Amino acid sequence: MKRTFLSKRNALLSSANISWGVRAFIFALIILLIRLIAPNFFWFVFTPVFNSANTLTVQSHSFLQGFNDTAVLASRNEQLIKENSALASENQALSKKIASIIELFSSAQTISNGILAGVVARPPESPYDILVLAAGTDEGVKVGMEAFGIGGVPLGVVSSVTDNFSRITLFSSSGINTSGWVGNNNLPLTISGAGAGIMNASIARSAGIAVGDIVFVPGPGMLPIGTITRVDSDISSPSVSLRIQPLVNLFSLSWVLLRDTGI
Amino acid sequence: MIRGLLTILSFISVIFFPWFVTALLVLISSFYIPLLPLSIGLFADTLYYTPNNGLWPLFTIYGIVVTVVVLFVRSRLKTSSIGG
Repeated sequence: MKRTFLSKRNALLSSANISWGVRAFIFALIILLIRLIAPNFFWFVFTPVFNSANTLTVQSHSFLQGFNDTAVLASRNEQLIKENSALASENQALSKKIASIIELFSSAQTISNGILAGVVARPPESPYDILVLAAGTDEGVKVGMEAFGIGGVPLGVVSSVTDNFSRITLFSSSGINTSGWVGNNNLPLTISGAGAGIMNASIARSAGIAVGDIVFVPGPGMLPIGTITRVDSDISSPSVSLRIQPLVNLFSLSWVLLRDTGI
Repeated sequence: MIRGLLTILSFISVIFFPWFVTALLVLISSFYIPLLPLSIGLFADTLYYTPNNGLWPLFTIYGIVVTVVVLFVRSRLKTSSIGG
């Protein structure tokens, strides 16, 4: 009996079309195995790759900005805004700290200097808001330490550590809930990460929270984490939804400070 | 040759380019290389996924979904009069 064989009948078995797919899949599996078996080695291998990606980003940014003078001015303006934002947040933190100290009639607690760590990798804007840092257990990093950005802005918590590298899960990561306060009356609220550097919260409509109000989280004292950029209200609901933007751009961080705050 | 170039470019784009560039590149390439979305998803999760925040490995899941859809579409096209 004659059997017909159609090589193009099954797309999965069509070797001419799938061969690169199989190679890609095997390559991805090998990388995954290395990541699982030897995470420290994995990050050693990938650190130069991420560094070159960062360099490329910076150089392409400079190249594009070098076409005209207005671009240079825009760059300087951007830098000044960043510095201003950092100083403002630092000022907010200090004001809150002084207020808390006066209120409690107690002296400020000693804050250790912490560990300064370079950011190796950051994801593109995605549900996984994490940072990979070039500091691990060898440098004294421990799971649970808190990461701070420019101006002492809290960013997230160390979620995993290898010998020379660590991962920070940012407060804006999906599924992460953080307790905090908002507004001049320090109203308590739960901040939920929404991914892509954004956080959400919900609070009673009667609280009178407005766009521009600062959101604080516990650290050593009360530390500013972000500002309210949008207040969504539904007439049938007694509460309003708040959209919180971090005070620092999470996707352009170069250095962070790690401290054990007991969170 | 073009398939090889698209595969290598897709892997590089995970690290060097924003996610939407990678997504677009992989979607276009997937009609020529059906397993590429799954491979790129796995690679992206290898680099960026953190299991402790309760999330599923989303890039891998998206990759599986796109790969299954592409394989289904390809099999339909190949057995239809369009695919010859």
